[in-house]
Amino acid sequence: MSDLDQAIEQLRSCRPIPESQVRELCYKARELLIEEGNVVGVDAPVTICGDIHGQFHDLMELFRVGGDVPETNYLFMGDFVDRGFYSLESFLLLLCLKVRYPDRITLIRGNHESRQITTVYGFYDECVRKYGSATVWRYCCDVFDYLALGALVTGASTNLESTGAEYADPSQAHTIPSEDEDNEIEILNSNGHIVSRFLRTQPSHEPPSDPDSTSSPKPDSTRSPSPLSAAQPSHTPSATGAPGTSATSSSNGSSASNSGAVLCVHGGLSPLVDTIDKIRLLDRKQEVPHEGAMCDLLWSDPDEIDGWGLSPRGAGFLFGCDIVKVFNQKNDLSLIARAHQLVMEGFKEMFDSTIVTVWSAPNYCYRCGNVAAILELGEDGSNAGFTPRTNGDVGRFTGALGPGPGLKAPDAGMQRPGPGRRYRVFDAAPQDSRGMPAKKPVADYFL
Amino acid sequence: MSDLARSFVASKLASLPPEPPLPEDKEEREDDSSSASSMSSTGTVIPSGSLKPAAPIQWSDFFAQELYLELEKDGEVAKFHVYHTPSTDPRAPLVVLHHGAGSSALSFALFTLELQRLLPKAGILAVEAREHGSVVHDASGAVQKDLSIQTLSDDLVEMIQLTQARLNWPTLPEIWLVGHSLGGAVVTHTAKTGQLGNKLMGYAVLDVVEGSAMETIKHMQSYLSSRPSIFPTISSAVDWHIRSRTLRNPESARVSVPSLLMQTSTGRWTWRTDLTGTQTYWENWFVGMSRKFLSARGAKLLLLAGTDRLDKELMIGQMQGKFQLQVFPAAGHFIQEDLPEKTAEVIVEFIKRNDRSTLVLPPKVSDLLAQGKKV
Repeated sequence: MSDLDQAIEQLRSCRPIPESQVRELCYKARELLIEEGNVVGVDAPVTICGDIHGQFHDLMELFRVGGDVPETNYLFMGDFVDRGFYSLESFLLLLCLKVRYPDRITLIRGNHESRQITTVYGFYDECVRKYGSATVWRYCCDVFDYLALGALVTGASTNLESTGAEYADPSQAHTIPSEDEDNEIEILNSNGHIVSRFLRTQPSHEPPSDPDSTSSPKPDSTRSPSPLSAAQPSHTPSATGAPGTSATSSSNGSSASNSGAVLCVHGGLSPLVDTIDKIRLLDRKQEVPHEGAMCDLLWSDPDEIDGWGLSPRGAGFLFGCDIVKVFNQKNDLSLIARAHQLVMEGFKEMFDSTIVTVWSAPNYCYRCGNVAAILELGEDGSNAGFTPRTNGDVGRFTGALGPGPGLKAPDAGMQRPGPGRRYRVFDAAPQDSRGMPAKKPVADYFL
Repeated sequence: MSDLARSFVASKLASLPPEPPLPEDKEEREDDSSSASSMSSTGTVIPSGSLKPAAPIQWSDFFAQELYLELEKDGEVAKFHVYHTPSTDPRAPLVVLHHGAGSSALSFALFTLELQRLLPKAGILAVEAREHGSVVHDASGAVQKDLSIQTLSDDLVEMIQLTQARLNWPTLPEIWLVGHSLGGAVVTHTAKTGQLGNKLMGYAVLDVVEGSAMETIKHMQSYLSSRPSIFPTISSAVDWHIRSRTLRNPESARVSVPSLLMQTSTGRWTWRTDLTGTQTYWENWFVGMSRKFLSARGAKLLLLAGTDRLDKELMIGQMQGKFQLQVFPAAGHFIQEDLPEKTAEVIVEFIKRNDRSTLVLPPKVSDLLAQGKKV
């Protein structure tokens, strides 16, 4: 077993690795990350995750629910550290996995991956407590400066086949235009049971309140989904993607099930960034600045407003539906996936599903009572695995790259058909309280 | 603190009596006072005949004027005490400061200097609550000790409006409320009631959170009983605040602590505010504060000392981006006294950032389309 695999094993059991090993790991990680652009290209299938915040046991639950690395490809949208009690183990594990499986895992930067913020919200103190000095914190902060600012997922399929047993009958799938062909969203619980589905034609994509509405039993909650294996069609069928499988047989033409690209960023948009290429031009290898494009990408929030607004956070901006739709059209995106905001239901789609917030820290800070979610995007196998680069702007304004035949043009041609989206929603892992630091001392004086 | 401000304060403090002061140093200080009016007027807030309040030291180094604002209402007679520094521009904002329980307007003294340095045009109004620098008598002439959050909030609004009337402002300027501890609960309540209408631009709360305040209540009496109740000299009281790390900035302690004390008939010094007697109101002050803080209209800033002690409601609100949170790990509870310069920087940045008059946001898509522009 290599040192790296050993480190992974140790971190998986929530035990920190020695300082010298952290140093080596961070050095290797930096060498890898420096080669990545500000916007990393990622191919579907991929599972997109939001904030983790040092909730190590919940990160383990996330891997149980979403599948382990390297069987499942992951994209983490930042905020690995702070607030939770195991920022160190969580971040180092993700970093180890990144170094071990660089093509299987993508890490982008959140606003908490910053010297200033970690000094205040826990990661710095945790490092000093666990190592007796701030050296490891410094190594980690140096890595933070090299993390990408965003990721662009291409090759995601618009199709999302149900994983429900009632749709497992292939004869039904071939004979009738069954509703699962038009499924755009599917929500599963942590046991892999379907909670609900939403058809592409339905306007409302709010998470349902009744978790039992369409649930169907799934046999094994601890399965490892193998998206590339057609032998397990009932688990992630849309991701099985090989040409000729049921995942593509009903599509009309080779481009029909290919969605626009999905931009992943921790916070959101910036008034200084109207194209993805402008993100690519930023000099990211620095502490997160207090203002400017890089700051906005990590700090901004979507809001029910028109245009841009001031962010109550004191950094970044609020941006409205119009901003998202224009940005998506201009950049040939079907969706923006972002994190940064606690969502009690784990995820929240907004603005006619042009943007989604994914939140992956259940019962945030061990007290907020929220559930968490991850977002799976399946692979579009309809084009023999060939993924056209879809974020170019050639022909966008003439409609030359409009939706393929057989698909309704949503929103008067403004919007690319979104990828099929499978959300897995999960609760906090049962935690034993050993190793939990003592409760913070109460203030001795409040008057 | 800037060098300028520091040397300014240092020079003023140098004129204070040497330590340890003699018992009769109060008279020396009175001689040092640059304003006769402060002496004559502080006499009006003597709550009982046997006690003499400690004169605020040189408030005039920090504020342009102090005002005694009288109000007769519903059979009660209020005499409110505020410090004021006028703005130099009628369009400039007014920053209103409310101290915490048992504290005083002079807890903002050093902070005020920094605020003026960073925001020279702004007006500053530092108010004092009843049972602190202000006093309210009921119809029978007895001191009215209602310290409920609603009453304190009403008092705050009255003090702002009475200041407006006294100084003949045609309209209220744009108002920013800053409250420390109990004062934070008061400004939050005032913001939630909407009594200041659209003049209220935003509010900043310094080091108080409903959840942790409620947890602390049960320890408060033992904390209060652990404090000395009598100090032989003002200087020993200043000393106690520093040694107990209640205040961590000696400069500020020497300005603020004298204003917390009254001289007894025996010449010693005791607390001006009977905090133990306010226990009835402790829950009333803080219950529902997080909800009010999140739901009131206006820009919101929460500035905490030490670690972030957010309760569940504020933790959710913060992680949903509903307010600005700033933490000063090195500060004690009296943030504005321990770190006046940094506190003022954050407040001024908060005010400037949320100032609608200077705010220029990128155009809306609909506006661009209306102008015939391609988006």
